[in-house]
Amino acid sequence: MSSGVQYLLFEEPTGYALFEVTLQPETIGSRLKEVQEAATDLAKFGKFVKLVSFAPFKGAAHALENANDVAEGTVNEHLKNLLELNLPKRSKKKKIVLGVSDLKLASGIKESMKGIECDTSEVVQDLLRGIRLHGTKLLKQLQEGDIERAQLGLGHAYSRSKVQFSVQKNDNHIIQAIALLDQLDKDVNTFSMRVREWYSWHFPELFKIVSDNYSYSKLILFIKDKISLNEGSLHDLAALVNDDAGIAQSIIDAARVSMGQDISEQDMSNVVTFAQKAVNLADYRKQLYGYLVEKMNTIAPNLSELIGEVVGARLISHAGSLTNLSKYPASTVQILGAEKALFRALKTKGNTPKYGLIYHSSYIGKAAQKNKGRISRFLANKCSIASRIDSFTDTPTTKFGEVLKKQVEERLNFYETGAPPTKNSDAMKAAIGATQELMDEN
Amino acid sequence: MAFTPRGGRGGGPRGGGRGGRGGFSSRGGVGGGRGRGGGRGGGARGGRGGDRGGRGGSRGGRGGATGGARGGSKVIIEPHRHAGVFIARGKEDMLVTRNLTPGESVYGEKRIAVDVPASTPDGVPTKVEYRVWNPFRSKLAAGIMGGLDELYVAPGKKVLYLGAASGTSVSHVSDVVGPEGIVYAVEFSHRSGRDLITMAKKRPNIIPIIEDARHPQKYRMLVGMVDVVFADVAQPDQARIIALNSHMFLKDQGGVVISIKANCIDSTVDAETVFASEIQKLRKERVKPQEQLTLEPYERDHCIVVGKYLRSSN
Repeated sequence: MSSGVQYLLFEEPTGYALFEVTLQPETIGSRLKEVQEAATDLAKFGKFVKLVSFAPFKGAAHALENANDVAEGTVNEHLKNLLELNLPKRSKKKKIVLGVSDLKLASGIKESMKGIECDTSEVVQDLLRGIRLHGTKLLKQLQEGDIERAQLGLGHAYSRSKVQFSVQKNDNHIIQAIALLDQLDKDVNTFSMRVREWYSWHFPELFKIVSDNYSYSKLILFIKDKISLNEGSLHDLAALVNDDAGIAQSIIDAARVSMGQDISEQDMSNVVTFAQKAVNLADYRKQLYGYLVEKMNTIAPNLSELIGEVVGARLISHAGSLTNLSKYPASTVQILGAEKALFRALKTKGNTPKYGLIYHSSYIGKAAQKNKGRISRFLANKCSIASRIDSFTDTPTTKFGEVLKKQVEERLNFYETGAPPTKNSDAMKAAIGATQELMDEN
Repeated sequence: MAFTPRGGRGGGPRGGGRGGRGGFSSRGGVGGGRGRGGGRGGGARGGRGGDRGGRGGSRGGRGGATGGARGGSKVIIEPHRHAGVFIARGKEDMLVTRNLTPGESVYGEKRIAVDVPASTPDGVPTKVEYRVWNPFRSKLAAGIMGGLDELYVAPGKKVLYLGAASGTSVSHVSDVVGPEGIVYAVEFSHRSGRDLITMAKKRPNIIPIIEDARHPQKYRMLVGMVDVVFADVAQPDQARIIALNSHMFLKDQGGVVISIKANCIDSTVDAETVFASEIQKLRKERVKPQEQLTLEPYERDHCIVVGKYLRSSN
């Protein structure tokens, strides 16, 4: 560092402050006790820097806009104006060195304003620490407590906006939907068991004939009191059991010789009400499933195509968001959901698990026992690629998902028959070509 | 001062447990880039009923005890060795802090109101309210119960709190520092950040910051110089996170209080090794460790480390 830092930029919650470095600080002994103590003493530190200009924000909204820009490391117009107005005109010979806290903002300033060199070294950081420490005393316009109040207001505004305009907005709905789907599966099951227990006092034979929970509840709604069944209801019954007249007939026969108790009208109406609830819940589950499938196909089309909507949704839910999932290496995706087994294996130095959530995809079930681990690894690779494409693409298509799916299937086939799979480069070329075609069409 | 790890508890109420699992959002804090296994925030920690052990004298079968939370005359409040922290001596001893917002509980904890005799002969006696601080839910409280020598968090201090989660512990820290102090509460998860913001609205000495503590640059506009950095982030790279924040915001000679969960850093070696290596990392970052204390029996394989930030030492 030849020239040393000449100016310092400091971001207050109330505005940008530009300081001039009046006394070049020690660069070699910056960690010495005396040097550090000088920074804590206002009288001494005041000799190091001098306020050149302070550009206050024009209100809460303006402050928030600038806070976001500072966080992202972009140069706001307001900041640019301050620098242009107050830094001396640059000449070719002497460059101006501005001390900035953040490396990213430094490169932003360097890019947008020619002739300014930025410095983010430890010496600068030490000076900025000093400014932060003395705060209001260096900024003559501000009074004691002003900064704290501004911090409080801006902190609330900034945090609120973070929560409100979350980038993972859509993923949240997938995560909630898949959690609700699991919950509904459980609930539909317990409801159906309860319905069965209750109704079986009246008509115990029915569950032997129709064991599917949903049809069973539907049948209760239709049959109600078993005495009401006769040959005439055959057609309607058959409609409820997939048009199977045989089953319908056996229900009617069973009703005639049933060993169940008679049931009063009031009791029956309660059973039916509850059966109706179970049916409604099952209907709602179907509807929710449709919603999840649709949502997954818009947000993560390739991942859904490759591994299925439900497993894909589970992966996203486990990672926290699609962006998070796309940041994971394939080896992590492979054992996502098997953390317990993984950490146990790491602790006991045993074998790490071969698969986690992706076990539920159809491919692993298809593979022979000794190939399960291999196909799991391969599938995790492809899932990782698919999630990255989904996360970062601008034109969502399923083309890559289709190709990846074919690759996995070919790989399965290779393990069984030894038929050589398509080369990866060829497969990817085909996918890119197909995407290109689709984009040209639009 | 001799730097030796100490263990065990330092007296005080015992009993209870971690309480039931928290509410039903089972994956509260994972929402944004936090590693797995952190399990922070959201409903992961104990929910209602977590303070079973600290019920103390409140349910003494007194007829006049409305709401079950009033200690009445049976409870005596004594100041703790650390300023801003108090002990309520009733049937059982409890750790309490003076409530900054009387009449309100933050997370369903018990409140104890005590009559304070008037300071002047003709004045009226006033009521002061305290909130029970459950060491099973707050690692800082567990550290105090364990007998930390130096806390650094005290009335009027400015605290940078990393890993604020829903703000249950933060609310007690805000009680301790009082209206003159400031707590900068940093939390990354949006889900628990929501609760944090709601809580902070009622307490003007808390500044909520929903941002990744790995990048202190992003919130440099919102934070001033602080006296203490408290970190409960449970991340593998937490030593680095703490160092980055200390270098930016912590005063020279300021305090560093860290809770370390051994499993979150390395689950393959035993806890003591993890603690030792973390302390070594802190030393490199100009933090001079002063105390190490295990959080048994409140947490397993956790420890709290208190140190001093020496910017000037080389």
